[in-house]
Amino acid sequence: MAPQPVVTGLSPKEGPPGTRVIIRGEFLGTRVQDLIGLKICGSDCLLSAEWKSPNKIIARTGPAKGKGDIIVTTLSGGVGTSTVQFRAYHETIGPLKESAVWIEESPSQNFAWGRRTLAQSGLTQEDPLGLSIEGNEQKIPEDLRDLFPEACGDLSQEHFSPAWFLLENHLATSFEDLKAGLSYLKRKVESQKEGQLSFLKSNAGSVIDQLDTLMNIRDKLQEDVKLHGNETLNILETSIENSISESQKIFTDVLVRKEKADSTRSVLFALSRHKFLFCLPNSVDRRAKAGEYDIVVNDYSRAKNLFGKTEIPIFRKVLEEVDHRILSIRKQLHEKVVKMPQSVEQQKKLIKALISLELQQSGTPIGDKLRNIDPAWDAIEARAKYLEWTFRQTFDQHTSKDSGAQEKAKNRDSSQAPNRVNFCEELCDIAASQLPDLWRLGQLYFTGELRGPHDPKPGDFKRMVLNAIEKFCVYLRLAILIATDQRALRQSSGLAWPIGSASATHQFLPWIPQCLRFTRIAYATLISLDLPSEALDIIQKLIDEVRLFCFSIIFKRATDRCKKLGSQETWELGVEEYPGATLLPAALETLLIETLDEVQSVCMQRETREGNLLEPQSDGQREVTQRLQEFLSAFSAVIEELAFHSHDEETPTHNVSQLLGFPNAQQPDSVAGSGGAAAVTWEQRMLCCLANYAYCNKIFFPRLGDIFVRYGYPLPTLAIETARYTVNQLFTNLLEEYVEHKGDPLVGTIEPSMYLGRFQWDHEMEIGQLRPYAHECCDNLVGVYSEIYSISPALLRPILESIVQTISEELARLMSCVQRFSFTGAIQAHVDIRLLRDSLEGYVNETAKNYFMEALEAINPPLSGEQKRKADEILERVKRNMRLQLLCFSVKDP
Amino acid sequence: MSKKPTAGPALHKVIMVGSGGVGKSALTLQFMYDEFVEDYEPTKADSYRKKVVLDGEEVQIDILDTAGQEDYAAIRDNYFRSGEGFLCVFSITDDESFQATQEFREQILRVKNDESIPFLLVGNKCDLNDKRKVPLSECQLRAQQWAVPYVETSAKTRENVDKVFFDLMREIRSRKTEDSKATSGRAKDRCKKRRLKC
Repeated sequence: MAPQPVVTGLSPKEGPPGTRVIIRGEFLGTRVQDLIGLKICGSDCLLSAEWKSPNKIIARTGPAKGKGDIIVTTLSGGVGTSTVQFRAYHETIGPLKESAVWIEESPSQNFAWGRRTLAQSGLTQEDPLGLSIEGNEQKIPEDLRDLFPEACGDLSQEHFSPAWFLLENHLATSFEDLKAGLSYLKRKVESQKEGQLSFLKSNAGSVIDQLDTLMNIRDKLQEDVKLHGNETLNILETSIENSISESQKIFTDVLVRKEKADSTRSVLFALSRHKFLFCLPNSVDRRAKAGEYDIVVNDYSRAKNLFGKTEIPIFRKVLEEVDHRILSIRKQLHEKVVKMPQSVEQQKKLIKALISLELQQSGTPIGDKLRNIDPAWDAIEARAKYLEWTFRQTFDQHTSKDSGAQEKAKNRDSSQAPNRVNFCEELCDIAASQLPDLWRLGQLYFTGELRGPHDPKPGDFKRMVLNAIEKFCVYLRLAILIATDQRALRQSSGLAWPIGSASATHQFLPWIPQCLRFTRIAYATLISLDLPSEALDIIQKLIDEVRLFCFSIIFKRATDRCKKLGSQETWELGVEEYPGATLLPAALETLLIETLDEVQSVCMQRETREGNLLEPQSDGQREVTQRLQEFLSAFSAVIEELAFHSHDEETPTHNVSQLLGFPNAQQPDSVAGSGGAAAVTWEQRMLCCLANYAYCNKIFFPRLGDIFVRYGYPLPTLAIETARYTVNQLFTNLLEEYVEHKGDPLVGTIEPSMYLGRFQWDHEMEIGQLRPYAHECCDNLVGVYSEIYSISPALLRPILESIVQTISEELARLMSCVQRFSFTGAIQAHVDIRLLRDSLEGYVNETAKNYFMEALEAINPPLSGEQKRKADEILERVKRNMRLQLLCFSVKDP
Repeated sequence: MSKKPTAGPALHKVIMVGSGGVGKSALTLQFMYDEFVEDYEPTKADSYRKKVVLDGEEVQIDILDTAGQEDYAAIRDNYFRSGEGFLCVFSITDDESFQATQEFREQILRVKNDESIPFLLVGNKCDLNDKRKVPLSECQLRAQQWAVPYVETSAKTRENVDKVFFDLMREIRSRKTEDSKATSGRAKDRCKKRRLKC
């Protein structure tokens, strides 16, 4: 341990507080940290100490007063000592002192405790001893404060020391003078005492009064002592004590009550301050009942924020209550969310409220009581279920109505829409209103607006939507597509529309386009939703089917109308391209165009997102082909029917030869437009029909193809070809019929006419003329010719050819039957045959030619050269004579 | 004079007087702590006290280092009063300081009222002999007139520093022993006599 510090030097040795002092000495610390204490005159100055060296410290003095040691304390040397002392004084700034601040210079300020100010005030003071101190220069060498540490030389001070005063002021005064001063002082005091006496004198009256009063008091007191004894004081004391304790009691009572009141007030205050919280359970219930869930959510979150972490039990309790209420509200909300029907907005609002409530409650023990549910998903599920339920409900309702109303169906007004249509409309309405809602809700859910704490299930949702749409389609299918095979559908869905009567079904058919329209409206609504294409495809498929169904229905109707076209036949020949054809095909064309227009507008026209029904190799095309085929075959049937219309009752009028003597009435007189079907002859009708067939086959049906192409259909080649084939077939049949009717009598007349008048070929006869039978044959042919020509020249060739063939065949048969020809007979036969052959050359086909050859060869014996020459001559002549008749046959292509 | 009982070794009170900047503090500090202070800082009133061995006897020396500047002239009286011996310092490089010693001498004699008060005339800064302004003879002459010893010192080189303090203490000691022989009354009488003389 180092020697203890010693302070041996001070610079300066005195000063007011704050003086900078250089302290010197020994062992004042080995380093800065070693210095741990510095006291100047008892005040700690370590804070201002600045350690310079073990011999020197610079510090500032503290607010101490008087003389005192400087104690330095070091870690190494401990508490030190001081050989020098510092005198601290408080400087009073007097009138002669320089000062940085303004000092009030009034004399009253001169109460002072500093030494120099005392001297200054002394100048103004009269010496109490009445001695002059002038010239009293002698000063006491010692510091008086050292001599009288406890005293002071100031007269006004309490610890005034006369010795100090004398030493200070009268050091040089002689003893005699001091004595004189003493006597002066005595005199002065005496005079002040006299002053007291005179005071008493002047106030004698009041003094006596006081004395009297005092006496009275004493008398009273003594009386009291006699009366009550000496105990008075004790009684007084006890009563005072009693009163003290009593008052204490009352006071504590009051205090207790005050405390109670205070606590009540504070509770009331707290209640009113936290009114919000305390009212919350009820207000939450009320709001929830009123459906203002937003407010509930807000209030609840506010309460959670404000009091969620509170430790105050009452708040906790209230909060718990609130939590319970919220829990039940959540349950209610959840029920409401899944309750249908309601608008998406409403549902959204409820879900949002529910989610936020749930979020706020999650994590708390109460909140976890209700399992974490996904309200949005539940809502979606509920919506989907409700949708399905509505479908089903509607379906059941309508089916029951339909089955129940079946008996009355007959009485029903046909203009009233059938149940199926109503069902369709309703179902479409439901789909168009509810599916978008479902979808929108789903979107909201997946975009995260209504997302709960769980991961979304897009797959499930998609399946749900698809399912709903499929159901929708199944119901529609059941209702609309009555013609199709619904067995599979029934099996898969387990549903069936009650099978109605045929008339009801029939009644329903015209409404199908209406149904299609409903479906399309719903479809359009769904398209605008951005549904996945899978979902839309389902409906599209249905719609395409319905469209096709529509198409076929319309065409069927057209076919029905077509069947009735026959009644409209006017037998008017108005077709330019094909003489002989009537206006019937034109009517058909109009009908077809009408139908196509209708089809186009109803179902063929593609609307948004619909398939092309006319894809190659598709059902649509097949349907078109089939329907067209039906349509056309119906038309063919109509013509056929027309052709054979009154066949039974009206026989051909000219089946008897003119040579046999029947009146020649078959000559038709200007057939065209003779008016009315009744006026039309059988031949005319036959020919018209034939012409129609030919027209259809050659021109009209291909043109119908063009119409189809014009309407955007692919060329229905197959249907047209089939129809043409049918028509051709019918044409052939009809032709045969006609030819039979025309040719049979003609041919039949040849034999009787030939052998008229007992004519025999082996008899010699007069030759040079044509035989009458040939004439007749020619004439008959000309008649037929003119008949055909007047209606349809194009029919000449097929008809005449076959007639000519039969003629040639008949001739060949007749000739071969002849046993023997006479010389002239052979020539005659030869001429006859050749004339017929030559004149009908234009209508002779191979078979006919052969028959003619056969007929010529049948002439037995064959002609000699002379006979041939003769025959040629006759033929020449006959031809010349029959120039006019033969001319008509020579027209190759009329 | 002092009725206060002094415990321990004898205390000799020395007062340093002289004009400002002559080296009073430098001498004091050199004596006290063997250090030479180069930078000049005017003193107000410093107090130092330490134990020294004077001729085999342990004594305490109390040094009052006073202000040289005229500003403090008014408070000098009080200080002088308590002094038992004086070192009147001037700088041999500054004639004015030498002249000022006269005034100090007169003031001391007036305050102490004693011509034989222990007193040393000290010419400081003798290391700066080349800058000497006050001739040695003049100094010695004055000392002779005052009947006091004259010593030249250097606070820088510590030349004669101890000597001046010890010489002064010896004088103080001899004065004290002289005084203690005489009775206080006689002393007072003598005081009175002396006062009358001057």
